[in-house]
Amino acid sequence: MKKRTKRKLKKIFSIIFCSLIYLFLFAPIIYIVVNSFNATRSKPYLSWKGFSFDWYVKLFDNQTLLQSFGNTMIIAITSMILATIIGTLASVGMYKFKFKGKAAIDGLLYIPVVIPEIVLGIALLTLFSNINIPRGMLTLIIAHTTFCVPFVIFNVRARLGGYDMSIEEASMDLGAGRIRTFFEITLPVLAPGIGGGALLAFTLSIDDVIISYFVNGQTKTFPLKVYESIRSGVAPDVNALSTLILIGTTVLVILTQSGLIKKLLKKA
Amino acid sequence: MKRKRIVCVALSLMLVLSLAGFTGCGKKSASNGELNIFTWTEYVPESVVEDFEKEYGIKVNWTTFSSNEDMLAKVKTESAGTYDIVQPSDYMVEQMISQDMLMELDKDVITNIENIDSAYINPSYDPGNKYSVPYQGGVAAIAVNTDKVSKEITSYDDLFSEDLKGSIVALDDYRAVIGMTARSMGYSMNETDTDKLAKIEEKLLKLKDNVKVYDSDSPKNSLISGDCTVGYCWAAEIALAQEENPAIKIVFPKEGPYVFMDNWAVLKTAKNSENAMKFINYMLDSETSQKVSEEFPYLNPNAKAVEALGDEYKSNEAKNPPADVIASGEYVSNLDTDTLAIYDAMWTKLKK
Amino acid sequence: MTKHRFKSKTLPAISMVGPVTIWLLVFVAAPLVYVFIMSFCGLDEFYNVSYHFTLNNYKRLADSNYVDIYLHSLIIALTTTVVCILLAYPFAYIIARTKSRKKNLLYMLVIIPFWTNSLIRIYGWRSLLGTNGWINTFLMNLHLISEPIDFLYKQGTTIFGMVYCLFPFMVLPLYTAIEKLDGSLLEASADLGAKGPKTFFNVILPLTSGGIFSGSIMVFIPCLGYFFVADILGGGNSDVIGNLVERQFQSGNNWPLGAALSIILILVTLILVKIYQKLGGDMDSLGV
Repeated sequence: MKKRTKRKLKKIFSIIFCSLIYLFLFAPIIYIVVNSFNATRSKPYLSWKGFSFDWYVKLFDNQTLLQSFGNTMIIAITSMILATIIGTLASVGMYKFKFKGKAAIDGLLYIPVVIPEIVLGIALLTLFSNINIPRGMLTLIIAHTTFCVPFVIFNVRARLGGYDMSIEEASMDLGAGRIRTFFEITLPVLAPGIGGGALLAFTLSIDDVIISYFVNGQTKTFPLKVYESIRSGVAPDVNALSTLILIGTTVLVILTQSGLIKKLLKKA
Repeated sequence: MKRKRIVCVALSLMLVLSLAGFTGCGKKSASNGELNIFTWTEYVPESVVEDFEKEYGIKVNWTTFSSNEDMLAKVKTESAGTYDIVQPSDYMVEQMISQDMLMELDKDVITNIENIDSAYINPSYDPGNKYSVPYQGGVAAIAVNTDKVSKEITSYDDLFSEDLKGSIVALDDYRAVIGMTARSMGYSMNETDTDKLAKIEEKLLKLKDNVKVYDSDSPKNSLISGDCTVGYCWAAEIALAQEENPAIKIVFPKEGPYVFMDNWAVLKTAKNSENAMKFINYMLDSETSQKVSEEFPYLNPNAKAVEALGDEYKSNEAKNPPADVIASGEYVSNLDTDTLAIYDAMWTKLKK
Repeated sequence: MTKHRFKSKTLPAISMVGPVTIWLLVFVAAPLVYVFIMSFCGLDEFYNVSYHFTLNNYKRLADSNYVDIYLHSLIIALTTTVVCILLAYPFAYIIARTKSRKKNLLYMLVIIPFWTNSLIRIYGWRSLLGTNGWINTFLMNLHLISEPIDFLYKQGTTIFGMVYCLFPFMVLPLYTAIEKLDGSLLEASADLGAKGPKTFFNVILPLTSGGIFSGSIMVFIPCLGYFFVADILGGGNSDVIGNLVERQFQSGNNWPLGAALSIILILVTLILVKIYQKLGGDMDSLGV
């Protein structure tokens, strides 16, 4: 009897504790969603003046906000692709070949991951300023790729651990060239690691504030536009955009959880 | 397995989001070129800029800053041509002229300069208005939420009172705050004497417990939301806060306030100088100036616009500070690098 | 023979590792070297960098005011890390070892907030915690308090914000470490007569220590640089080292001073990483 009640108490405690943590994680998100329906017109847009879809409509008139979101997407996708290509090639190369300086490259890879982002941000700003590259889209993409590459490499490397290279030798013995072997043998094995790395790169890029803050020039990214709005009072159209992004994300997660996408992919 | 699923989710999500993102990329085509403006936050109405874009067919790229020093730093570090137009305050105009950073204005285009009140024409920081024209100005006054604060506040010195612990929203501007401290002691806003500076520092640190938030962009938000009950802010911010909460009153300090006048100027390295001149002329137009003051009610040097704004503006002290208040105030002026280093050290000490 | 060797060994190696090497050298090594050099430079009267060697910046930064800020930042970072561990460990433990079919969902629910912009979530907290924000209004309506509680713009608020932002970075490594725990070891410990706490301290904790260490590094170091959290929630009152650096590159207009501050940050980071490695931390588990 005693042991069972103990176990039950433990379970109840666990549920309450975890719920509180989830509440902690989601509380501001709930606020953001609710306030996106606030009919208020006056700064700082905090008091509730009634329910309305107005701001969702106004959102599509807000050119600068939508453009900043577009910029963020372009930067994220480009950086992700660049980082993935550079990172995958590097991981495989470092795994296969022995050469001097491997430790040095390794060390350099840890730097963007470990040091505070602000140091990387100002360092890149200093570089761009000195070789006179105007700050904007290009510098943002370079900066984002720089901090994404190590994450791609770590993810692919994790997948490489235990990879038996004899498969590749076999493939080449059978006549497939080096490049063909890479694309048809190596890459499929590494796919989950590459996918994971790419996903991480994309996530880090769309949310980046600190590094973008220094190298963005006049180009606004979505996080930077939000930072700007926070200074004057966040209009609920920003809430509306965030809510829409959130809905999109959640819908996809639900679909995968219910196995729908998996079924669709299986059929394909 | 779990990972594969997450990856699929993510990849499809990225596709969806990027499609959405590209909708935002439909830029309006600019037939007459572009213009890059760099202004104070909460100072130029969006509607005014949009109207300019429509009327002249010029695309405007707009960035904002929170203090003169921020603006100078960015202008110097960004590559030449990033910004065409800037909005320096009085002393900053002087500094930029001395560093040869400004382009002479084309008075043939900027005909509306005649709208400016004679009191603000030909200022000491830019004789003959060769490089700048006044935009808006005002004072940094005190806001008091009379519902929550029982103490009577009449001077900058009152802000240091122990009764006001944790209740003030102050400008995030070291010249403004240190200068205010100096004035509360009867010194100049631009004090250089090291002994006096030491005394100023001593008093300044008493402010630490009283200031809850530092905010130059939108101090009215803290006043309206109730997070702060007293403010040291730009007068127009107080005027706007008053509109949301009539209990908030403006107080002009006995010692005479920090006075400023902000101006339009064109950078020497501007790539769109013609468009810049057109923009400045547009902003000086009395109708435009009227719209500006309706949204951001600062002291308006445009005499024609002031007439059109009528009594509602003229009689509101917060929007239109009385002439004697302005006369009793002091402008910030430039200081040498050594003195500024002392100011900077004081500021760091205050904010740590 | 050599030609074949070049083609089959060196060329592929260079083409695969070359891009990343060049990228790292140009965009990581070179900028940092430059920052190092700049930290020994001064300013001329026009706020431009003057390339004369000087130790002025470091002298200035050794001033007691600055040292106070470093200590202050370290305390904030330490508190944040400890709070994260205390909250994340039990949470990760419950989720990682749950036998519920919803395990995947629970894991995803930790990651989803990540996909909403972190700035706007911090702003959400600022609105929730305000004097007339939801939390105070809620508590007052329930008559639990008569005056609104002053949550915002205190040091505690900054720590709260940091914990909020960096919580996932602590949860994920802990989750991975706890998931790898072999259930049979725990059973064995129980069989041998060890009660709950004893098993925890002697078996579970040592086995998951790697997760705790890598989580701590991933929380502590970013804390020092997260100036926007201190800005938004701290009201400009509780600066961390990141705020100092940011100020020198913005209104302070003093890049060399900012560079020197960054070098100090890097040194602090290096010291922490060394400690981490000495305690047996695995560099590879960072960032995965």
